[in-house]
Amino acid sequence: MFGWLRVVASRIRGWFTIRRLDEDFQQELDSHLALLTEENLRRGLTPEEARRAARVRLGGVTQLRETHRELQGLPWLEALAQDLRYALRMLRKNPGFTAVVVVTIALGIGASTAVFSVVDPLLFRRLPYPQDDQLVSVGYLGPVDNNEFNVVSSYFDWRQAQTPFQFITAMRPGGECDVLIGDTPRQVRCYAVAADFLKTFRIRPAIGRDFSAEDDQPRAPTVVLLSYGFWQRAFGGDAKVLGKTITLNEEPAQVIGVLPKTFEMPQLGDIDVMLPARLDASRPRSANSSSFLRTFARLREGVSIEQARDRLRPLFEESMQKDVPVELRSEARLVVRSLRDRQIHDVKRASWLLLGSVIALFLVACINVANLMLARAVARRRELAMRAALGAGRGRLMRQALTESLMFGLLGGVAGCGAAWVLLRLIVNLAADQMPRLDQARIDLRVLLFALAGSIVAAVLFGVAPALERPRAEFLFGGRTAGTGRTVFRKALVAAQVAISLVLLTGASLLVRSLAKLENQSLGFQPEHVLSASFTLRHHRYQPTSAQITFYDELEARLKRIPAGGSFALSDSIPPRGSMGRPYSNMRIFGHPPLAPDGGMVEFRRVTPGYFQTMGIAILAGRAFTESECASGESPVILSATLARRMFGNENPVGQQIELDGNGHWCPIVGVAADTRNNGLTDPPDPEYYRLRMKGSDELGASGVVLFRTSLDPAALVPWIRKEFAALDPSLPVTVETMEGRVQRFRERPRFVALLVGLFAALGLLLAAVGLYGVLSFLVAQQTREIGVRMALGARPRDIAVQVQKHVGSLMGMGVAAGLAGSLVLARAIRGLLFEISPTDPISLLAAVTVLVVTAALAAWIPSSRAARVDPALALRCE
Amino acid sequence: MTKDRSEILQGTLDLMVLQTLDAMGPLHGYGIARRIEQISEEVLRLNQGTIYASLVRLLQKGWISGAWGASENNRKAKFYSITRRGRKQLSAETENWERIAGVMGRVLQLAERR
Repeated sequence: MFGWLRVVASRIRGWFTIRRLDEDFQQELDSHLALLTEENLRRGLTPEEARRAARVRLGGVTQLRETHRELQGLPWLEALAQDLRYALRMLRKNPGFTAVVVVTIALGIGASTAVFSVVDPLLFRRLPYPQDDQLVSVGYLGPVDNNEFNVVSSYFDWRQAQTPFQFITAMRPGGECDVLIGDTPRQVRCYAVAADFLKTFRIRPAIGRDFSAEDDQPRAPTVVLLSYGFWQRAFGGDAKVLGKTITLNEEPAQVIGVLPKTFEMPQLGDIDVMLPARLDASRPRSANSSSFLRTFARLREGVSIEQARDRLRPLFEESMQKDVPVELRSEARLVVRSLRDRQIHDVKRASWLLLGSVIALFLVACINVANLMLARAVARRRELAMRAALGAGRGRLMRQALTESLMFGLLGGVAGCGAAWVLLRLIVNLAADQMPRLDQARIDLRVLLFALAGSIVAAVLFGVAPALERPRAEFLFGGRTAGTGRTVFRKALVAAQVAISLVLLTGASLLVRSLAKLENQSLGFQPEHVLSASFTLRHHRYQPTSAQITFYDELEARLKRIPAGGSFALSDSIPPRGSMGRPYSNMRIFGHPPLAPDGGMVEFRRVTPGYFQTMGIAILAGRAFTESECASGESPVILSATLARRMFGNENPVGQQIELDGNGHWCPIVGVAADTRNNGLTDPPDPEYYRLRMKGSDELGASGVVLFRTSLDPAALVPWIRKEFAALDPSLPVTVETMEGRVQRFRERPRFVALLVGLFAALGLLLAAVGLYGVLSFLVAQQTREIGVRMALGARPRDIAVQVQKHVGSLMGMGVAAGLAGSLVLARAIRGLLFEISPTDPISLLAAVTVLVVTAALAAWIPSSRAARVDPALALRCE
Repeated sequence: MTKDRSEILQGTLDLMVLQTLDAMGPLHGYGIARRIEQISEEVLRLNQGTIYASLVRLLQKGWISGAWGASENNRKAKFYSITRRGRKQLSAETENWERIAGVMGRVLQLAERR
């Protein structure tokens, strides 16, 4: 059975000891000859004749040794070495061709591997929880937040009555905590979670224990789990930390364990400290229904997400009646979605788009390789025929073609690894904070190998194909027949390239146009020359509100002294984001019937009088706040244009009184301000109103943003601002940045996606151009004789050029038609990524087609002008 | 086509070598060649060198083994002997050969009778 194995083993052994075997065999033959000679002598021949006869009997010694050697060693290995030498020589002889093939393969492999490495942790790789496919995020989705959330009272209801889940667990939104370890105060990221939070995710602490049900009782003493990183930073990874007591928000807290090194919060938040949420079911429902949570669950075995949603729905409807204000019910819906979808929420589409475009690029690259290899094969037919005529077996020729193709694949593969590495670095730098899990992006070996295999297959398939064809004698006389079948195939390949490139180009031009709209849109405020400094006051230092009031008063006094040469304002938040909104229907107009109960949320900010001037927000009616109002007992309000229109229609809102949150406090409207982008840059602005920051008011909140409009270089102001903050509270972290930089951050992801897709489109276009150029050059070379005849018969160079251009036309026609169809499909798919651009935007389509056609014309120009310059005398003589 | 024929011839030669070694005990190349010629009553006069290709094949399959020794004229020569595995192969091949020979014989008789 394993006979052949034994033979192979023995041959391998033989290959290594070939020299000794040779000597042995020589000895064997010598002794054989001697024996034969003796036999002949015994027969009475003369010594001379005896020796001669012996040699005849034995056969040609050289040939015997040759055969012996072939049988013993690994002749195909030697042939391989020969093929490799030959292939290398061929690669060196055609550096241009080699470079194009290698670069094409490298681009295909590099780009697809790099992009896959970035999106793999988002789209495909397992989340770091056992049986991650059972994990879901559940909750209400409403206009308040982009992600689903829950409230404590509903969570308790669901927890009690739900059936589709093994566990349902909750965490409070994360926040900053003040921690005192020994005497060192630190600000850390902490999360309060339900007792079964880690159990739901099937995570056990690295050391110590998990929270128990007792730890999670409403008035239980605080215990905490530390994140691995925080444990390392703050305690140097000392296991004796267990049982120690630290101070957390002014309260003692015992450390009971450390989270595993690989632990991730399910919404990917940074975490230092985890503590029990200690939710209290005995609190009044009204209190619990305004306390927000994120809820996660683990599906029961065999329950799908859809089933879970259906089974949860009655419960959802019931608790919504109790917990969601009636005016928001029509806009709230139940969300049950996989944890992965929750995590990649807003980059899912971008990830798929990048992956799709890089696959397209890879296809174009493979087609290009196929095309180039075919062209070369045809060009070398003559050589192959010659070698066959000189006695090379077909197996040998094929093996050689295979070796050469593999060499290309290998070289391209090595270059591709380099390209993948460079591109990955590039993407990581470009993407900065725009893609989650970027730190986990590694060159993925599987993909690298897959891409490598793909391009090698392309090279081999089309490199070897011609060797399969029986070399025909007529090829020896200079390939007169073009092999029409293959030409059609090659044209089809180029048309496919053109089509794919067009799809890529359309995608890129749509994204670029959308980005341009995003950059040039009116924000409603003027970010130029504005500097912002944002901060959040620490809980423990500013606990009595009087400390906060003192801080703000002093801050304002100090900052006003800075010679900024412009205006100054203080606000609790600034666009392009809003703050936590309030339901529209909570508001009332004095003397009017209640407002319609639909209408989502209204943003609001508390600002100082200088806000509108500093931000450059136009006052459309009435006036801005004044300094004198700050100390008065009134609560003047300014509405955004959208809100004013919505509440008052064509009536003049200035001078009217409105109630903001059902507390019976009537506020006079003093003005109407222009709308600003307060919902990010892409979503339409929410209605908004402004209230005046009162002197000595206790409603200021812990977050603040200081704004300066300055005629100076903003960078020169930064140290001044920092100095004033440091004088007030040296430990307060302050983020100082220009308004323009802040706005710019909102455009980074669209820019990143547009840039990458644009890059891939450009590469695809380049490859398609190379492909087109290759096919045309080949056609022209094939038809040199025909062209010569036509010219001899009186055709003008222009006619010849037209003839070549006709080929281009037919190729492009097919490619563009298919590409347009593909583009429409693509555009529909990426609609969600586009801003104020219709997926069928004619300008984008036109731009893509124009770029493609111009490039094609350039690529076709060289071969067609070469055709037009054919010298009929030369062309005819060369046959 | 040509390949098949040479394969049959090779196989035949290999079988004869095996048979010779089985009957005669250890022999060197010359001895084997002589013996085959004698047995075939000089019908089969081969280039004695061809025997060596056969010997390499049999060695590689592990059916024979070789060891250096001294020949009749006191020269260094390689002596081949059949292995246990070789004997097994030989009996299988012989059986097979006889069956084929039997069939061939009957077929040829049939042709004669016609």
